[in-house]
Amino acid sequence: MSYLDVEPGAAGESLLLTTDTNATFDNQYMSSSLEEIKNEIEPSETEDSNNESISNVTTYEENSSPMSVDNEDHEDRIQDKKWALMDKHIFVLSLAGKPIYSRYGNEDKLAWLFGVMQTLVSFIQSNDDNLISISAGGINFVFSIKKPLILVAVSRKQESVQQLQNQLNYIYNQIASMLTTSKLIKIYEQRQNYDLRRLLTGVERLINHLLDFAEAEPAFLLGAVQCLSLSSSKRSNISSAIISSCSKIKNIVFAILLANNKLITLVRMKKYSLHPSDLHLIFNLVQSTESFKTVESWAPICLPRFDSSGFLYGYVSYLSEDCQACLLLLTVERDAFHTLKEAKQRIVEKLRRNNCLEAINESLAKPDVNCAESGFLEVRHYLYKSKSTAQFYQPSVSPPYNKYGQVLTDLYKRLHQGLHCSARPLKLFFERRANEAIFAWDTVGFELYIIFEPLVETGNVVAIITRLLNWMKEREDNLFHLQVPTF
Amino acid sequence: MASRKKVLLKVIILGDSSVGKTSLMNQYVNRKFSNQYKATIGADFLTKEVTVDDRSVTMQIWDTAGQERFQSLGVAFYRGADCCVLVFDVTAPNTFKSLDSWRDEFLVQASPREPENFPFVLLGNKVDLEPRSISSKRAQQWCQSKNNIPYFETSAKEAINVEQAFLAIAKNALAQQNSAVDLYNEFPDQIKLTNTQKPSNGGSSCC
Repeated sequence: MSYLDVEPGAAGESLLLTTDTNATFDNQYMSSSLEEIKNEIEPSETEDSNNESISNVTTYEENSSPMSVDNEDHEDRIQDKKWALMDKHIFVLSLAGKPIYSRYGNEDKLAWLFGVMQTLVSFIQSNDDNLISISAGGINFVFSIKKPLILVAVSRKQESVQQLQNQLNYIYNQIASMLTTSKLIKIYEQRQNYDLRRLLTGVERLINHLLDFAEAEPAFLLGAVQCLSLSSSKRSNISSAIISSCSKIKNIVFAILLANNKLITLVRMKKYSLHPSDLHLIFNLVQSTESFKTVESWAPICLPRFDSSGFLYGYVSYLSEDCQACLLLLTVERDAFHTLKEAKQRIVEKLRRNNCLEAINESLAKPDVNCAESGFLEVRHYLYKSKSTAQFYQPSVSPPYNKYGQVLTDLYKRLHQGLHCSARPLKLFFERRANEAIFAWDTVGFELYIIFEPLVETGNVVAIITRLLNWMKEREDNLFHLQVPTF
Repeated sequence: MASRKKVLLKVIILGDSSVGKTSLMNQYVNRKFSNQYKATIGADFLTKEVTVDDRSVTMQIWDTAGQERFQSLGVAFYRGADCCVLVFDVTAPNTFKSLDSWRDEFLVQASPREPENFPFVLLGNKVDLEPRSISSKRAQQWCQSKNNIPYFETSAKEAINVEQAFLAIAKNALAQQNSAVDLYNEFPDQIKLTNTQKPSNGGSSCC
């Protein structure tokens, strides 16, 4: 087919590690590039064939927690009801059934419920099986057993089991990124009854943010990263400034510059590459930590897909008062703060001299064009993911979705599920709905998801897509990061 | 999330059927008692918050079924318990005789790190009833032979000794926690960079 020749944002070499599908996400704790890692982690088995379905589940209201004192009884009950009707609950517990995290409510008060969850998991396990999901009353209960933790999602939303498992993986990785998986495993080897909350003070905030972030940000669904639009010459100036400023420093593994949830550049050590899901955790950390804006920080960060057994140490700082891009220099050295602080100063000087700070600010100030502005009147919004580079592009959100972001998110979830459902993945998906026509296409090189005006003529769709691909192709140097800068 | 001062304890209650496990728990948590007998199916879970020596403690109480046909919850059920409460009925000698097998069963299934020091508490329930067939002395002797397990005589119906017994349970479990090794003061592992990179199995990667 002719459009396959046009593959915006494709490159033989990729800045980021690429993922084929989200399904592979689960079992591939990649390759630690590092000698010592010897697959310590046994990834949880998630075979669809083991899927347990339990249909008659008594609701917890019936056994509702009997801890309320009489005068607070009424109020508690209202609270309980509100709590029970939340769209999506997320729970994390230890294999012993001790609570670690609950998205809503006080996990101490919900201790009884965590006991129930552990018992369900343990009961199915005693028959050499694994509990994956329960569907009842329009609610999906999804379980993910990632030793030494159990993660549970309870969702009333239109999300597939696979998508919920993907979200649970992110939460596990977020916890691992604060402790390392090897430490996590060691803790529970020493003490099965450990109360992990002691070690996770403050991490709750990161998990809360991650959940909201993953909900709103297509990057998580696509397993890709969006770049800040910049001319390729400016982008390569920025990369060179970082490389030359760090040339004499040993053991910097990654240098990452990002702004407004978009990647500006990534420079890496030749031998190592970064997985988008690790980068998402970094975005989450930066976005949810206001204090980075005012003080330079030094933080241990474990990137689970890169190496789940140890920490990288991150120097984190915004470039300057007048340029709100955040720089992270990640090294294996524990005490390189001052060396990296000096490197950052050199980087900022060079960027200022080359007018790069200006270029970044300009791009940040000017939002991406929306579909109508770029001449696609029948298209309301789209997501384009280049598979070979794990990068994606989306135009600005325009009416009606600027006010109803959730609608857009749900449409993309539906399309994504169509292409990635493990039982029957589709290559092409087109659906005309009351309010829009939605389209998805999975090719060797890219995934494309489009929300059309409801009355778009089917005959025109192919022509529009061709024009759209060409439009991106002409701008690919700006929209995507196609170089692979290394130290 | 909890501050360091907060603790959550997993407490498992074991014993033959109808010795009053659920009644004790209900008396303790809800201050209620019912004469009606309803067998526990599988397990019940209750939460109680208490303060012990200035620490705020949440007791996660796992009430189990005494009847054998419900004993299928699996090994993992007992895993990571902080305290195990054994209950017998002072008017029913058979329930006392089973204590050894309940204790052994627990130690096998939960496999705690130091089985000889694992905190157990023994409760002789239904002291309000007559005739009594297991004397205090006999129960205490059994406790001594098991490395001095604390013993309480309780009545779930009359609310005798129930608070005290559960307080002792919390204290015992806490003592165990405090004596345990400090896990978070070690230095984390450092990553060693090498020049050998294994190929990733996710798709195309770049070197």
